Amino acid sequence: MAYTEEELKKELETKEYEYGFYTDIASETFPKGLSEEIVIAISQKKEEPAWMTNWRLEAYRSWVQMKEPEWANVKYKKPDFQDISYYSAPNSKAKYESLDEVDPELLETFKKLGISIDEQKKLAGVAVDIVMDSVSVATTFKKTLAEKGIIFCSISEAIKEHPELVQKYLGTVVPQKDNFYAALNSAVFSDGSFCYIPKGVRCPMELSTYFRINQAGTGQFERTLVIADKDSYVSYLEGCTAPSRDENQLHAAVVELIALDEAEIKYSTVQNWFPGDKEGKGGVYNFVTKRGLCEKNAKISWTQVETGSAITWKYPSCILKGDNSIGEFYSIAVTNNYQQADTGTKMVHLGKNTRSTIISKGISAGKSQNSYRGLVQINGRAKNARNFSQCDSLLMGNECGAHTFPYIEVKNKTAQIEHEATTSKIGEDQIFYCNQRGIDTEKAIALIVNGFSKEVLNKLPMEFAVEAQKLLEISLEGSVG
Amino acid sequence: MLKIKNLHAGVEGNEILNGIDLEVKAGEVHAIMGPNGSGKSTLAAVIAGKEEFEVTEGTIELEGEDLDETSPEERAHKGVFLSFQYPVEIPGVSVTNFMKTAINESRKARGLEDMPANIMLKLIREKSELLEIDRKFLSRSLNEGFSGGEKKRNEIFQMAMLEPKLAILDETDSGLDIDALRIVANGVNKLKSQENAVIVITHYQRLLDYIVPDFVHVLHEGKIVKSGTKDLALELEEKGYDWIKNETLV
Amino acid sequence: MDLKDKLISSFLAFENNVDVDHPVHDIRSEAIKNFESKGFPNRKQEAWKYTSLNSLQKTNFSIFPKEVNALEYKEVKKYFLHEVDTFKIVFIDGVYSSFLSETTHDGVDICLMSAALSKPVYKKVIDEYFNKIASKEESLTTLNTAFSKEGAFIFIPKGKMPIKPVEILHFTTGTTEASLLLQPRNLIVAEEKAELQVIERHQSLTKNEVLTNCVTEIFAAKNSIVDYYKVQNDLDNASLIDNTYIDQKDSSVVKIHTFSFGGKLTRNNLNFYQNGERIDSTMKGVTILGKKQHVDHHTLVHHKEPNCESHQDYKGIYGDKSTGVFNGKIIVDKVAQKTNAFQQNNNILISDKATINTKPQLEIFADDVKCSHGCTIGQLDEEALFYLQSRGIPKKEAAALLMYAFANNVLESVRIPELKRRINTLIAKKLGVELGFNL
Repeated sequence: MAYTEEELKKELETKEYEYGFYTDIASETFPKGLSEEIVIAISQKKEEPAWMTNWRLEAYRSWVQMKEPEWANVKYKKPDFQDISYYSAPNSKAKYESLDEVDPELLETFKKLGISIDEQKKLAGVAVDIVMDSVSVATTFKKTLAEKGIIFCSISEAIKEHPELVQKYLGTVVPQKDNFYAALNSAVFSDGSFCYIPKGVRCPMELSTYFRINQAGTGQFERTLVIADKDSYVSYLEGCTAPSRDENQLHAAVVELIALDEAEIKYSTVQNWFPGDKEGKGGVYNFVTKRGLCEKNAKISWTQVETGSAITWKYPSCILKGDNSIGEFYSIAVTNNYQQADTGTKMVHLGKNTRSTIISKGISAGKSQNSYRGLVQINGRAKNARNFSQCDSLLMGNECGAHTFPYIEVKNKTAQIEHEATTSKIGEDQIFYCNQRGIDTEKAIALIVNGFSKEVLNKLPMEFAVEAQKLLEISLEGSVG
Repeated sequence: MLKIKNLHAGVEGNEILNGIDLEVKAGEVHAIMGPNGSGKSTLAAVIAGKEEFEVTEGTIELEGEDLDETSPEERAHKGVFLSFQYPVEIPGVSVTNFMKTAINESRKARGLEDMPANIMLKLIREKSELLEIDRKFLSRSLNEGFSGGEKKRNEIFQMAMLEPKLAILDETDSGLDIDALRIVANGVNKLKSQENAVIVITHYQRLLDYIVPDFVHVLHEGKIVKSGTKDLALELEEKGYDWIKNETLV
Repeated sequence: MDLKDKLISSFLAFENNVDVDHPVHDIRSEAIKNFESKGFPNRKQEAWKYTSLNSLQKTNFSIFPKEVNALEYKEVKKYFLHEVDTFKIVFIDGVYSSFLSETTHDGVDICLMSAALSKPVYKKVIDEYFNKIASKEESLTTLNTAFSKEGAFIFIPKGKMPIKPVEILHFTTGTTEASLLLQPRNLIVAEEKAELQVIERHQSLTKNEVLTNCVTEIFAAKNSIVDYYKVQNDLDNASLIDNTYIDQKDSSVVKIHTFSFGGKLTRNNLNFYQNGERIDSTMKGVTILGKKQHVDHHTLVHHKEPNCESHQDYKGIYGDKSTGVFNGKIIVDKVAQKTNAFQQNNNILISDKATINTKPQLEIFADDVKCSHGCTIGQLDEEALFYLQSRGIPKKEAAALLMYAFANNVLESVRIPELKRRINTLIAKKLGVELGFNL
C-alpha cells in the first residue's frame, strides 16, 4: 500500500503516536513474496556461508508445511505472507568509525527516539547496537567490550566472524521448527544482535539494542543470540519504537539466550510499537519467540514492559535444565483502544532444586483484550522445584477484557507451587482520595497504575524504568473520561 | 473562611443534608457532633466536593468564593483538606511518592515550580518527627497494611505537609488508642494558627479534651439543631444523643 | 466397529423403544446428528488436553441395559444413609428399581424421568425445562441427550421443600461378556423459594466394566436453594463422565459438593449459568486418588448479571500413579458489574508418580469486579508432621490427620451430618488409617 508524504504529514499533525515519524532513506528492498529463491537470495545478499543458507532452507521447508497457530486469544486478519518483502537494507552500508559519517537523517531519527549515540550513553554505561530496518548500521563501545573479550555485534557479522559460536548455538533453544513464526524467522531473518560473554566475565555495561520498523511493507525478522559462558554476567536491554503507518506490519523475532553453568542473563524489553490508531486501524503484529536455557546454577530473568503493537503474541520462557537454576519473568502488559495482547511465559523445570518466579501485571483499557497465558511444568526428575506466580489484572472502563490462562503441570511430589491471580479496577474511592490531596484524575490514574506495576518496574535498570514509567502514562492517556 | 448557607445535599434523590448553615472564621476550631447517620461524614464529603453527592440547594463559600462546580482537586488546591474516616489504600505507591505528587500538583496549580528534592526531604523529616512517624513507614505503600492508628497519623502527617487553610477531620479519633490520640491531637494543635481553621467531626467528646473547640454544633437528621461552646460537648456526653432528639421533637 | 459408529447405529434400535411422537424425540434426533458430526472429544481440544477417552472408545460396550436385575437390600444397604430418612430413586444397571426406591408426588414430584416423559401432567415442565440449559454443542452431552430416557425427575413447586433429602443411586452389576454404557438423564427444577437437598451416587458392585455418561440439569428459580452432593467412590472398573448444568435466577443459592475418591476415570463438568442478580454459586470438592485413578474437574461459572457471587474451593490429594486435573473457568460478562468471583485450588502430591495439571482461568469483561484465583501444589508441612509425631501420633496417622485438616474446610459446609461423617470415614479409609476424625 502506497504511503505518501501528504498522509504522513497528516499523521504527524495528529501526534497520536509520539514516535510516529518516518525516515526517508533510500533503501534496497526485495520484491514481495517468499520462496526458496528468496531465502537463498537473502542469504547471498548477506554473503553467508553455505551452512547458513542450508539452515535457512531447512527452516523454510518446515515453515511451508506449518499452519499459523490459532490458540491464542487474539483476533486479527491473517497476514498475507506472499505480500511481504523479506529484505530491505539502508543504502548507506559502509561501516562508520565516527558518528559524522552516519546519515544525518538517520541520526535525526535516533534523536527523536531519544537515543543519543554519544558520550552521554557511555556515562550511562550503555553501548548501543542500533538495528535500523534489519541491518546493523552503528555499533559503539565495541572496543571497550573487546578488551574484555566480549563479542557484541550484529548477527550477520557474527555469522562471518564467529561461525563456530553461531553454528554451535543457533537454534539450540528455539529450533527452526519450533513454531510457525520461529520457522519463518529462521528462514528469512534479516539481522539482529549477537552477544558472547566469555567465561568469568561480568559485562561492565548494559548492552542495548533498539529495533525499529521503518520501511513500508517490510516485515522485520530479528534474530538475537546471547551466550553467557560459564560464570559470566550480562544485562541486555531491548527497546523498541516504530513509526506510525496505516498498514499492519508483521514482526516475528526470535531471541535465544544460553546461560551456561553459573552464568546469569538479565534481559529487559520495553516495547512500544505502533499500536494502531483509536479506531484500531494499523499497528504492528508482534509474534515473538523468546526462550532461554539455563545450565547448572544459571539464572535467566526476563523483564518486559509491553505497551505497543496491535497484536502481541509473546512468551519469554526459561528451560531450567541445570540443577539449581533459576528463571524469572516480570511483565507489564498495557493494552488500550483496540490492542490485543496474549502474553506470558513458560517455566520448564527439568533440573533439581530449580526455582522460578512469575510476576505479571496486565492493564487493560479502551476496547482492548489482555490475556496472560503461562505454563509451569515440573518434570518428574525436577526434585524440590519451586514456583511462585502472581498474575494481577487491572481493568479501566467496561469495554475491555482481562483473561488469565495459567497452566500448571506437576509430575513430582516435592514440587511447591503457588499461584495467585486477582482482577480489580481502579476504585472511585482511590481517585477521590487522590483528588482530595490535590492530584487530578489523570495523574491519579498514572500514580495508581505505577503503584500496581511497581514490582515489575523495580526490576528494570534505572534509566529504562524511567522510560517505561513514561510509556505507561502515554499509553493510558485519555483512557478514563 | 468557610460559609455554608442553607445546604441541601443527598445521593440519588435521597436527601441527607437538610439545610445546613455554618460559618467558620480563620483561627477557629469547630466541632461537629451527632449520632450515627446524622450526616456528619456527608457534610465533610460535600465540602471536599465528592461527586457522588448532589448539592440540591444552598452554597458553600471558601474565602468568599463559591465552590459550586469546582472539582475535589481544585478545592484541595484552594486549601481544603479532608482527613478521611477510612483512608484509602493505594498499593505500590509509597507515602513519600504520594506526598511528592500531591505537593507538586498543588504547586503547579498555583503556578509554582516543583518543590526541590532537598527542601521536600527536609519538610518530610520535620513533619514526620512532629507526628512521631518512623522513616521506614514513609516508604511503605500508602495505607496498605497500616493499623488504624497508623492510617490516622498518616492523614495528619499529610495535613502537616499540605498546610491547608481549612482542615476537616472526619472521625479522626475512631480506632485510636490513647497514645495515638495524643500524638494526632498534638500534631493538629501545633499546626493550628490564626490563618487556618479546623472542623472536627466526632461522635464522642474524648477528642475534644485534646483539641479544644471554640464552637460545638450538634447535627441531627441533616440539620444543625444546637450550637454552643465546648460545654455543649460535655453536656452531650452526659445526657446522650437522645436528649437532643427529644429536645428537637419538643 | 468403534464406539461412535456403534452408538449411531444403535439409535435406530433405541427409537423402537421410545415414543417418537413426543416433542422430546425431536430434541434427541437433533442431538444424535450433532454427536455424529462431532464425535468423541480428543486431546487436541483444549477442554480435553489432560484427559483421554481413547481406551474407552476401544472398549466393547453394550448400550442397552438388561431388563431385570434384582438386588437384595442387604447387598446395597451400606450405600444408603440411615440416620436420616430419605426419598430414594434407585437404578440397577440403568433400570429403575421400585423395590429399593421411595418416590413421592405429595406436593412435590420426586420420581422417574421415564414417567415424566410419558405422563401428560408433566408435559408443561418437560417443555419448559428439558434440555434447555444442557449444552447443544458439547458432544458427550448431546450423546446423552440423544439416548435420554431414564433418570431422576425432581420438581419442587413454588415455596415447597420436600420433608427429607433425596438420594439418587445408580448401582451397576454389568455383564461379563460386554462392558456396560449407561446414560442417565436427571432433571431437577426448584421453583421460586423452593428448597432441596440431593445426594447422588454411582456405584458399581462387580468387577465388570462400566461407563456412565450422565447429564443433570438443575433449574433454580428466584430465591430457591439447592444443596447437591456428589459422592464418587466407585470401583476401579467404573468410569464416569458427569455433566451438570445449572441455571440460576435472582437470589438463588446453589451449592454443589463433589467428593471424588474412586473410579478409573472420572470427568466432572460443572457449568453454572447465572441468569439473574444476587446469585450465589458455590462449588467445592475433595479429591483423594491412588492407584492409576484419573479425575478431571472442569468448572465453569458464567457471570451474566450484576451483583452475583461465586465461590470455588477444590482440594486434591494425589498418590500412587494417579492424575488430577482441575480446570476452573470464570467468565464475567460486561454487564456483570460488582461480581465477586473466588476460586481456590490446593493440591498435595504424595507420590513420585502422581501428576497434577491445573489451569485456573479468568475471562473478565467487566471492570467493577473482584475476582481472584489461587492455586497451590505442595507437600505436607514437615514441621507440623513432626509436631504431631512428637505428641505420640504415628507418622501415617499424623499425615492423614494433616491431610484431613487440609480438606476440612470443604467438609465444613456439608449440611447433612450423617453424610459428613460418612465422607470422613471414606477419607480415613482412603488415606489408609483408622481414625474417627470427629475431633
